[in-house]
Amino acid sequence: MCGIVGYLDKVGTEGGNVGSVLLGMLTALACRGPDSTGVAVFGQHRPDELIAQIKLGENGNGTEYARKIEETGKEFGGREFSQTSAYLRFVFTETNDLHAFITRVEATGDPVEVVSVGRRLEIVKQVGSPSRLEKTFGISAFQGKHGIGHTRLSTESVVDLSHSQPFWGHGYPDLAIVHNGHITNYHQLRRRYEQRGTRFYTENDSEVVAVFLVDKLQQGRGLHTAIESIVRELDGSFSCLVATDSALAFVKDAFSFKPLVFAETDDFVAVATEEVAIRNAIPGDFTVREAQAKEVRVWSR
Amino acid sequence: MVEIDAAGRTTREVNRAIRQRIAESCKEVVLRNPGARHNLAVAILEDAHIRIAGSAGYYCGGLIDGPSIEVEGSAGWGLAESMLSGTVRVHGSAGSGAAAAVRGGTVVIHGDAAARLGVSMKGGIVIVAGNCGYMAGFMAQKGTLIVCGNAGEAFADSMYATVCYVGGEIANLGTDAVIAPIDAGEAQQLEKILSTHLPATLRSTKPAAADFKKVVAGRKLWNFDKREWRTWQEAL
Repeated sequence: MCGIVGYLDKVGTEGGNVGSVLLGMLTALACRGPDSTGVAVFGQHRPDELIAQIKLGENGNGTEYARKIEETGKEFGGREFSQTSAYLRFVFTETNDLHAFITRVEATGDPVEVVSVGRRLEIVKQVGSPSRLEKTFGISAFQGKHGIGHTRLSTESVVDLSHSQPFWGHGYPDLAIVHNGHITNYHQLRRRYEQRGTRFYTENDSEVVAVFLVDKLQQGRGLHTAIESIVRELDGSFSCLVATDSALAFVKDAFSFKPLVFAETDDFVAVATEEVAIRNAIPGDFTVREAQAKEVRVWSR
Repeated sequence: MVEIDAAGRTTREVNRAIRQRIAESCKEVVLRNPGARHNLAVAILEDAHIRIAGSAGYYCGGLIDGPSIEVEGSAGWGLAESMLSGTVRVHGSAGSGAAAAVRGGTVVIHGDAAARLGVSMKGGIVIVAGNCGYMAGFMAQKGTLIVCGNAGEAFADSMYATVCYVGGEIANLGTDAVIAPIDAGEAQQLEKILSTHLPATLRSTKPAAADFKKVVAGRKLWNFDKREWRTWQEAL
């Protein structure tokens, strides 16, 4: 199962209500993924700044880590530190060496993980329902023009914060994915990437989709081409959504195993596992259709 | 005509209300605010018209025997699955597995159908005014499958005796599917089916019956023959 959702406001301002639309969609898909919920939202871009969301631990008692990470963060121009549940959020100065930042922060302690970094992107995810995510982070107040979300039904890996989705394209600012399905050549791909030195943070096969995309984008492929190569090089069942600071995209496997529907009007694009999610979040008269096998769509904001 | 508002009711309550109205001899039921909910109007066995004023979710009109169901929006997975008789019409598009295993009746989709349209159908007529996706007609046994637009990959794979007609392009044929000539009598019959079930405005934009491609089983998979091992390897 699992439920995935995506929304792109074509006409609105940066102050758009992407958070409440995603929450409305996720709420309708809560029954598809009772284990955990998460969103990746793209807010206001501030020049020369990056936003970091850092996981302090699985149980939200990482105040000791938070203090240490603040000290490290300040070396990178960190400011506006705030702690919510298991997360430390702050803004820092844009850097060409994101790798150094990640390495330093994650050296603070074993459970510490950089969940997202981006000019616009912020990922929050945790165990529990969409309503719990709303209670913890107030996601309905998140402003922006686009974002993606996920409700998870775990099948093969543990239920915790790190294994929840969306996954950040680790080390690549402003790239996030959500995935419904199974990647059956996961172990093969993971071995290949690990031999090249890529670190995997989870046992969740969906993580490899993000790693795969980062690899293709770093090779200089365009977003559309990179996503098309998912159809050819990943095996198994997948409906995936991909979001960057400027685009929302989906891809569906060759056998059309997993559901995915979308609606496009002059005003917005909405994508979801089931139409019930779109109807729950967006009023009005518009048509919805299911994506076809191998279909790839990319919308730029 | 009576109206039922689905808002604030559970799916079970909605379906019970539909049945109750039909039992009270109501011939037309309109369902407001369906919200693309699953399992609407399933297993209705009476002759009545049920109009869903919006989109339906999964399994709409499944297991029905007799009624005519009209979905004004789109439909999700498993539309009219295993229906025995009656009519299911969708003004928008249908999700995967539409008209799977139907035994009779008519399914009409004005928009597109996603993957696995009419798989294992055992009778009836399935018409898609738009395009259909991957593996339509897989292992279909009887009945007629008509796609006015383009058909996706692996069309009519491993079929038995269903007859398919495609008005547009076929991405590729499935194992043992072959194009057969369409004679004047068949074209006439196809035209009759299309003009009966599609609204005139929709019919007028589609190819003439004689221009449809007819696809049937090549019958190579009907009986096992080890000399055709390669065909079987591909099929399995």
